[in-house]
Amino acid sequence: MFIQQLITGLSIGSVYALMAVGYSLIYSLLNFTNFAHSVCVMVGAYVSYFFLLLVADNILAAALCSLVVAGVLSAIIEKVAYQPLLDKNVNRIYLLIAGLGIQIVGENLVIVLLDGRFHAYPTTFSSIPIKLFGISIGLIDLIILGVSSLALVLVELLIRKTKTGLAIRGAASDLNTTALMGVPVRRLITIVFLLAGLLAGLAGSFTGLKYTAYPSIGSLTTKAFISAVFGGLGSIPGAVIGAFFLGVSETMIAAYVSSSLRDMFSFVLLVVVLVIRPTGLMGKATEEKA
Amino acid sequence: MLKIENLQASYGKIQALRDISFELNEGEIMSIIGANGAGKSTLMKCIIGLQRPDGGSVIYRGRPMGKSTYKTVQNGIVLVPEGRWIFPALTVEENLKLGAYIVKSPDEGLKRSFRMFPKLEERKKQRAGTLSGGEQQMLAIARGLMANPKLIMLDEPSLGLAPLIINDIMNIIKEINQQGVTVLMVEQNAKKALGIAHQACVMEQGRIVKRGSAAQLAQDESVIAAYLGGNKGGTTDHG
Repeated sequence: MFIQQLITGLSIGSVYALMAVGYSLIYSLLNFTNFAHSVCVMVGAYVSYFFLLLVADNILAAALCSLVVAGVLSAIIEKVAYQPLLDKNVNRIYLLIAGLGIQIVGENLVIVLLDGRFHAYPTTFSSIPIKLFGISIGLIDLIILGVSSLALVLVELLIRKTKTGLAIRGAASDLNTTALMGVPVRRLITIVFLLAGLLAGLAGSFTGLKYTAYPSIGSLTTKAFISAVFGGLGSIPGAVIGAFFLGVSETMIAAYVSSSLRDMFSFVLLVVVLVIRPTGLMGKATEEKA
Repeated sequence: MLKIENLQASYGKIQALRDISFELNEGEIMSIIGANGAGKSTLMKCIIGLQRPDGGSVIYRGRPMGKSTYKTVQNGIVLVPEGRWIFPALTVEENLKLGAYIVKSPDEGLKRSFRMFPKLEERKKQRAGTLSGGEQQMLAIARGLMANPKLIMLDEPSLGLAPLIINDIMNIIKEINQQGVTVLMVEQNAKKALGIAHQACVMEQGRIVKRGSAAQLAQDESVIAAYLGGNKGGTTDHG
């Protein structure tokens, strides 16, 4: 029972991590929280749903499709909504408001164009349990955990080992100095949004698989946001640790205490972190970043 | 090589640069001296593209300069900014590698940097934020050279450094120049700046008020009174 819950918790945590890393990446470069992120998650969920419905019953191919569409969408949002604001060098609060606007419009667009109902993925896949050492574990949880972890490792490798990754880490410290190194910073920002969107699409596909696709599915990014704050906004390892911690804690509380306390736990955690240690577990104080 | 014509720039309502014109010859060191707030850093930011000028032009090798910083760097101009602006969270080696962003492989540049600055090799795995002020300045200069620039601009390279270290830095600047890199340097330490330069300008309140060879300016009565502490000796025997 405990192992089962742990796997479920880790699988949920890994999906939070996919979304939280996107928040942290963008925050580390631009010092603002991209609320439009949830739209990419939602679109990811719907793309997978339609892929399974219309193309083929293959969840991995559907997830791949979600990933690409959400990535491109994220980059477009950055180009169309944020870049003009960045060009004007406005206060970050305007970016925040633009993001909220995109979130609201996105959700309602789905309701208008489609409907507001829940759409369970038309796949036989999600209900198959497997037996491992006498414990029954949902295959879906294992796949989600495996693929998400792989994606997170790939992102970490990109950031640690490649030239673009080095530029991203430099840009997290200072955009102007990074430009002085000959880095096309504008393009770098778009790449980071693309990356965040790819992860959001994957997260959306997995969330849809677990909970069905519905217009406000993107609000799950709130949990990812809490993870990122808990781990320290702007820190990628922090976001991952925070996400796994939150996923496992939530699952355990739902299983052993009460499922109605689950969400309360997350929000209390957010408040406690903000009061006691606003920089989170691994976050950097702004002086250090500068 | 670099021709500045009637350059104007401002911060909000404050005019930082007024009709700046000068020409920089290939292979030379030019020093721009002046007090704090004379507009020296603004001038460099306008040249590199971090700040948009209000008017005038920057012409590099006969062509007007593009607007984006990264293109300017690709064209062979780098800026070592005031206060170093190193990446404190990255290691020394990573700082240098990022400096080589526009170059295919950083290996040759790394070798050259470590030859010029053995201290940096000792500390290559260390986070740059843990270096001393002098080491950070050396890192900033080494990082600037990683892009193989034709023109390197140094903004206050002696700022906040001990006199002995300033001498080291000035020697390094001369060495860089001898390897064929043109140098444009902004300095408050006029004595040192005139000591190693071929040409020099004096900037006051956003204007160039004097221009000439460094030797000439070092002999100029008003320059001596204002920037060399009225002490006539020791202006050219350094570095």
